[in-house]
Amino acid sequence: MKRAAPLLLVLCGAGCGGSQSVAGRDGVQGALIGGLFDVFLWTTAAVYLFVLAYLALALVRGRRHRRDRAGAQGEPAAQAERIWHIGLIAFAGATALILAGLTVATWLTDRALAEAGDAAPLEIEVIGHQWWWEVRYQDPVASRIVRTANELHLPAGRAAHITLKSTDVIHSLWIPNLAGKQDLIPGRIADLSLHPLRTGVFRAQCAEFCGLQHARMALDVTVETPAEFARWYDAQLVPPPAPTGGAALAGFALFQNRQCASCHAVAGTPASGMVAPDLSHVASRRTIAAGTLPTTRDNLMAWVADPQAVKPGNNMPKVPLTEAELAALGAYLETLK
Amino acid sequence: MSSRSPASLLLLLLPVALGACDRETRDYRSRALQSTDRPAAFGGNAYHLAQGQRLYAWMNCAGCHAHGGGGMGPPLRDDEWRYGGRIDQLVATILDGRPNGMPAFRDKITEDQAWQLATYVRSMSARTRQDMLAGRADEPANVEPPVLDERKPVRRVTPGQDDATEE
Amino acid sequence: MRSGANRWLLVVLAALILIVIAGAILLGAPDRKPEPALGDNADRLADLPQPAMRARPASWYDPPDADQWTMQLGDPSGTRFSPLADVTAANVGSLEVAFTFDTRNARGHEAAPLVVGDTMYVTTPYPNDVYALDLTRPRPTVKWHYQPRPLPASQGVACCDVVNRGAAYDGGRLFFNTLDGQAIALDADSGAELWRTKLAEINKGETITMAPLVAEGRVLVGTSGGEFGVRGSLTALDAGSGAVVWKAWSTGPDSDVLIGPEFRPFYPAEQGEDLGIHTWNPDGWRIGGGNPWGWISYDPELHMIFYGTGNPGPWNATQRPGDNKWTAGVFARDVRTGQARWFYQSSPHDLFDYDDVNESILLDIPWQGKLRPVIARPSRTGFFMILDRLTGQVLSAAPYAHVNSALKIDLETGRPVVNPEKMPRPGRVTRNICPAAPGGKDWNPSAFSPRTGLVYIPHLNLCMDEGEIDTNYIAGTPFLGADARMFAAPGGYRGVLSAWDPVANRAVWRIREDLPLWSGALATAGDVVFYGTLDGWFKAVDARDGKLLWRHRLSSGIIGMPMTYRGPDGRQYVAIFAGVGGWSGAIVAGALDPADPTSALGFVNALGDLIHRTEPGGKLYVFALPG
Repeated sequence: MKRAAPLLLVLCGAGCGGSQSVAGRDGVQGALIGGLFDVFLWTTAAVYLFVLAYLALALVRGRRHRRDRAGAQGEPAAQAERIWHIGLIAFAGATALILAGLTVATWLTDRALAEAGDAAPLEIEVIGHQWWWEVRYQDPVASRIVRTANELHLPAGRAAHITLKSTDVIHSLWIPNLAGKQDLIPGRIADLSLHPLRTGVFRAQCAEFCGLQHARMALDVTVETPAEFARWYDAQLVPPPAPTGGAALAGFALFQNRQCASCHAVAGTPASGMVAPDLSHVASRRTIAAGTLPTTRDNLMAWVADPQAVKPGNNMPKVPLTEAELAALGAYLETLK
Repeated sequence: MSSRSPASLLLLLLPVALGACDRETRDYRSRALQSTDRPAAFGGNAYHLAQGQRLYAWMNCAGCHAHGGGGMGPPLRDDEWRYGGRIDQLVATILDGRPNGMPAFRDKITEDQAWQLATYVRSMSARTRQDMLAGRADEPANVEPPVLDERKPVRRVTPGQDDATEE
Repeated sequence: MRSGANRWLLVVLAALILIVIAGAILLGAPDRKPEPALGDNADRLADLPQPAMRARPASWYDPPDADQWTMQLGDPSGTRFSPLADVTAANVGSLEVAFTFDTRNARGHEAAPLVVGDTMYVTTPYPNDVYALDLTRPRPTVKWHYQPRPLPASQGVACCDVVNRGAAYDGGRLFFNTLDGQAIALDADSGAELWRTKLAEINKGETITMAPLVAEGRVLVGTSGGEFGVRGSLTALDAGSGAVVWKAWSTGPDSDVLIGPEFRPFYPAEQGEDLGIHTWNPDGWRIGGGNPWGWISYDPELHMIFYGTGNPGPWNATQRPGDNKWTAGVFARDVRTGQARWFYQSSPHDLFDYDDVNESILLDIPWQGKLRPVIARPSRTGFFMILDRLTGQVLSAAPYAHVNSALKIDLETGRPVVNPEKMPRPGRVTRNICPAAPGGKDWNPSAFSPRTGLVYIPHLNLCMDEGEIDTNYIAGTPFLGADARMFAAPGGYRGVLSAWDPVANRAVWRIREDLPLWSGALATAGDVVFYGTLDGWFKAVDARDGKLLWRHRLSSGIIGMPMTYRGPDGRQYVAIFAGVGGWSGAIVAGALDPADPTSALGFVNALGDLIHRTEPGGKLYVFALPG
């Protein structure tokens, strides 16, 4: 067990890199918090080393002292005592100074975080559901509002103001590479500012226990160049192409006439469900079921065939379908790009 | 012996208390549908009742039946049933619809969802176990959670009776 | 001696306490005012307008053939005024029942019968039977009976009871609509069916409850279904053949809405291309409501029709961001081509189900020294709106009901200034929104009397709590996403009859009614105003000061529209349907459960007592002065 401990520590280190990293400095907010973390880390490390060195010195000196004056208790020299006093006062003063310094650093970071917003940020609404994320991009022109699920696209170099809501229980949005976490509370509206600096693909995770499938409630965050983002946004505004080909057409008919359309929406079709992820461009997303499976035709079919096997307890029922129907649905879902 | 016997008896009874640790299973694979006694398998299960309550909102039932008091559709809190109030009759009503306006939900929900919905609808008028009911109502108007009481008979007054005091 | 004094003191104290308790009980008792005695129930708030400052009918207004009643609002300008003057304020007190006609239908009867020549035409709620009564006999008999047999399933998609708002007569033909969405023309003499045109698909939640209007050989019919995500449309049918002449949608691209070069709306918010798409979330307009299920007025000089569009769908407003054009507003169209002339949106991005389908009364009002052609609209938002008939400009707006959902109407932009406190928020219940979802006034039409220059508005005094929830669109099921609970607005009374001066835009007098008013009003040249209450009182009040002159209790609550005609015997008759129902009376007609405050979309919470005060049953009552 004791031998395993360092191994576990190494595992913790895995949290410091990659697409879901507390050490990531990929956004203004993350960088600010990271900077503060650095100040704390190096200051406290220095203090720690100093204390350890002092302890070692005291041990050495104490042993020597005992050897020199074995058996006799004597008053230390007056001069030595003064040095000790000054040392103690200096030590207390340094502690107070360091604490004050850290407080000021925290305060400055906090202020910088509050001021990190933009005059015209991208307005986004993120709504937590058990167990998936709904994302709505706001626009003054209502017909340019984009509704998607389980993916968040952001342009690098532009601030985004995220409004957070929940329809059922408390969730928490945490994109560690970009910013700290913020809770989504039913009946309340919270907000979070992001300002990604570098392009990249990140993973966000629900950070407040929200039920059976809390662990499988992830959000794919893609930070791309403004041009790429604009391209993605415009593509979201266009309904998916009408299905062509036998299997996809049959799948479309199944989608519209069977249980799917009761809860899901696909742009440009009568399916307008609100309580489940919008599937208009599901095949263009990296993952399905809130980061549970990579988006492939096989995975889409596996998910539809038995959602409860993939993510037990989620609200999508197992719809009785024949093999042929399942294949047709898979073919159709794959066209939703 | 006499002094130890109550203690040992208690010790013997202790495992019985473990029975309380048996939680109701969340039957999200809908094994109840395979049960030979579906009314009991669905009707006595809090998970199915809660799922039915969620579906009641999701499938727009409240738009017509309100939260049991009715509107475009008849009330569901009373014990009057046009097409039968047994749970299997309710499932048939939900899945296949009825001629005077109840739409068919077959292919809009699955069969086990229909049973869950019927379980919730039954709980509006039947005396469902208190521990099965949801702790709070999900609807935004903060209506009281499902009722345990049956509907009070409505006293009707013919307008003519009031007339006596007039003119 | 001392003990005697003490005893007296105790007796006096006990008596005092008893009096206080009794007083508290009496004062604290539910505010159920007994029916007032004749004569004293109006609050007088202002003087009658001087003749020069009175609103008057449109310049072309030709008093309708006084002896007949050929359309629900009496005449194309929507006044519900009859020039008959045999029944006057002086003799109305002796009105008595001349005959009755039982429809054997227990749902809400909102229509008025029509009288043409010697025949009375009676339409009923679903199953929409039509009866022709021969008036030449002392006890009228059924001349013919027509049964359209609409689909029974249509009852399930009829929001707020299976009502029908009556027929229209033109050129020997009788036009009416069935609940399952068919417009039907009958030969008025024989009852033979001339044509029927299907205009709605009940599987998508579409129904028709409105009364058609006939103008320039076109029968105008609008859809219902604002609670089912039905995309509204108004269709003009050829009166002779039933063929569709034009069809104007209420949402979607300009080509569907019939917006072309003639469209000149007054305010910038209505100017732009394809606003019926761009003021909606993507695809929202396809299921966006805007059903013109109310009243249409017609100006023969301008060849224009005026009608309102219903609420956007769903009720949950956060689900449909944007202004949601062209819902909850008024359209002016060319009746010949259907092309829109102007549009005014009274409730942009409607939050509270404020359909704008109420009647448009065509008037001329003295305005800054000149007579100006306007339309007067007691709008569902609770504001009495005066709009320029030619441009759609808002000339004045004043609340006639208790309003807190909007602070005022901004006359610069024409838009209501929404009260931020009443903005709905997801997951929260917004409290005390006034007026409630049925608005300051619902469908029941007002009457205008040129003799007093006043509009008589039968309206509501209700507020509500409302909460929102995301809702799925499932064709043929309700598309609401909101829970409401209504209750009486400040004052505790739930209905009002307001006599409104549309020039000064203020009330002249007002009658407080315990129950919401859901019946239409009728004004006559005898200076009498008729209306009915939900508990079955048919009332006649003085058009000048609101004095209650006469009342009669009918067998069921009144939600119908009174009308008057001259019978073949030369006497003036007044007719009204009893038959409680509709949205307000659904608690009785549908036997709803008052224990659930959200029943009937929340109306039941305000009307739980109605089940003790009336019972269902459709019956036509016809009154006359003693022969």
